[in-house]
Amino acid sequence: MVQNLLFQGLVGLTGAMYLWLIAAGLTLIFGVLRVLNFAHGSLYMLGAYFALSASLWMHQGFWPALAVAAVGVGVLGVLLEVVFVRPIYRLAIAYQLLLTFAFVLIFNDAVKMVWGPLYQAPPMPAGLGGSVVVLGRPYPVYNLFILLAGVVVAAALWLVFDLTPWGRAVRAAASDREMAAALGVNVPRLFSQVFGVGAGLAGLGGALTVPMQTVSPGMGENVVVDAFVVVVIGGLGNLWGAFVGALLVGLLQAYGTLFVPVFDLALAFIVMAAVLIWRPAGLFGRSG
Amino acid sequence: MAGRISRRRFIKKGLAAAGGVVALGTAIDRLGPALYAQTKPPIRIGAQGILSGPYGGYGEFGRQGGLLAVEEINHNGGILGREVEIRFRDEELKPPITVSNLRYFVQDWGADVAIGIDASNDVLAAAEVMPQLDRVLIVHHAATEKLNEIDVYQKHNQYVFRVCVPVYQDGIASALIAKDFHHVKRWATISPDYEYGYTCWKFFRQVLSHFRPDVQYVGEAWCKFNTADFAPYISKVMAQKPEGIFSTQWGGEAVAFVRQAKRFGVFQNIGAMMIGMGAAMDVLEGLGAEYPDGVWASCRYWFRYPETERNKAFVERYHKRWGHYPSYPSEMMYSCVNTAKAAMEKAHSTKTADLIAALQGMELDTPAGKRLFRAEDHQAVYPVPWGQITHDPAYPMPIIANLKVSPTTEYYRWPPFTKLFGV
Repeated sequence: MVQNLLFQGLVGLTGAMYLWLIAAGLTLIFGVLRVLNFAHGSLYMLGAYFALSASLWMHQGFWPALAVAAVGVGVLGVLLEVVFVRPIYRLAIAYQLLLTFAFVLIFNDAVKMVWGPLYQAPPMPAGLGGSVVVLGRPYPVYNLFILLAGVVVAAALWLVFDLTPWGRAVRAAASDREMAAALGVNVPRLFSQVFGVGAGLAGLGGALTVPMQTVSPGMGENVVVDAFVVVVIGGLGNLWGAFVGALLVGLLQAYGTLFVPVFDLALAFIVMAAVLIWRPAGLFGRSG
Repeated sequence: MAGRISRRRFIKKGLAAAGGVVALGTAIDRLGPALYAQTKPPIRIGAQGILSGPYGGYGEFGRQGGLLAVEEINHNGGILGREVEIRFRDEELKPPITVSNLRYFVQDWGADVAIGIDASNDVLAAAEVMPQLDRVLIVHHAATEKLNEIDVYQKHNQYVFRVCVPVYQDGIASALIAKDFHHVKRWATISPDYEYGYTCWKFFRQVLSHFRPDVQYVGEAWCKFNTADFAPYISKVMAQKPEGIFSTQWGGEAVAFVRQAKRFGVFQNIGAMMIGMGAAMDVLEGLGAEYPDGVWASCRYWFRYPETERNKAFVERYHKRWGHYPSYPSEMMYSCVNTAKAAMEKAHSTKTADLIAALQGMELDTPAGKRLFRAEDHQAVYPVPWGQITHDPAYPMPIIANLKVSPTTEYYRWPPFTKLFGV
């Protein structure tokens, strides 16, 4: 019994890491640029398609495919920021929502035109396709790899934002962009870079789903809703909040399936509502 | 404000321009075919299916089957000497879209008959508007038993017919096979969290328990729509140590489910897995070498059954035309078109009332075998096998072998639908 509970928890942690990988970029972009990027799910989808193409068309292995997806979507993110998002920073937030939502539609149709409307299921990467016995039951090696990938990404983000000069500049610009600019930080360039990093994280997240799931147009829309819940619970713009939020929602989904199956869909939203009532800025958000 | 267009004027201009474009489009639409029609107007068939997303494979296979039928018919002189035109639209898994497609087909395009529809929710919404549109709808794939048992039989909706076997195939024919798995006594399900999943599991349990009072049902996991990560469900059910798993996941979700179940060691730890729509071509092609041998799978038409000349010729022509073997919606849509043709020729008319009269009780030779359209509930009756997944080097995808076919008298529910199965 205890073993089964722990096993379900392990499953929840893997689910949490999938959520974290997409929520990280979403909250990063909001925290620094104050842009609520609806198209983040589309970037995630593009990451999956880039990885798929790298392995099916260019016959690359799993690791190069991940790199292609992360870098490719990252570059696309920079272009999006420079060409489309930058001109509307000064306008009301509704314009950002309209713009990023337009990109959801554009990317969905673009994907249908390039890769076709049907789902695709590429092969499993060599060496990660097996299973190992954990807590007395077989567990996919790939899911353990996802756990590791989530932790590595979290550690890398922590290193970059807390220990590098670039990270310090980003944090400065996030808390007061005029002051940062006055102190000599090239804020517009920094914003493009952050948008690129956020987009790249979405691309990586999408690419990591490819081996175990299927790739299809619209796949990002389902995930991005969960990611928004994660980000709101953690506090919009707060990376550690997103990490904790992802853990919370991932575990809730796993244990919800186990204990309250009729209810499992609503569970994360109920927790989100409770958090918003108790701490309107999210668990780790700054109030006011 | 001088020099700027006022908001009202702007809106007026915009509306006028949009109206002009729409009017022009409609005019071309109406005029175009008339320009090249020789003597008689064409017969128009409005078809729809799911053409995008994780279930998009179904619509695409349906589209290919429907097109092939129309090409063949036009090659052989059309229907009643008239050319046949077919149009396809995406039902998008949304009842309002399905209904607006029907309105477009009938009211804007002038369709003589409507065919298709993949999803049960969509078909129930569609059935409601057919009397108002005054057209026959021949359903190719949506399989809810509510369509024939309630809408047609109980509520006398005369406008809807269906060529494919309903959920009796998934829920009842499966149990007639599972009753002989004497080593499997603990069954569980991992299935979709909507009507289709619940109904099939209910039928399966009732029929199986009728023959096997010793069987226990030890777990249920209901996967929400658009599930990508099946791990929580698989983990939950496997904790109950089932010996058999019954699943009605379909399309891309069936592919993701099997891939993940494999890595959770499901197939080594259970005695039997049954997947109702596991022999759909998109699932076979999607899983490929990863599909474990021995899984029991079915569909609503299997391209190697029955072994008739009619079927072999269809498979050959389909393969030549599209480069792969027909999935079940391919045959369904193909047979929808041919059912419409047979009804029009029998009635010597394309009028809806005449078609309804012609279709009731009609028997038709199709690739899937002889279909009888029951007069009481407009449901086509023909047998479809279950079989076990195997990898045959003669085919580029896994196939099912060791076919088991129950007589339709045993596994179809029959009017007045008071008994669960059999006559």
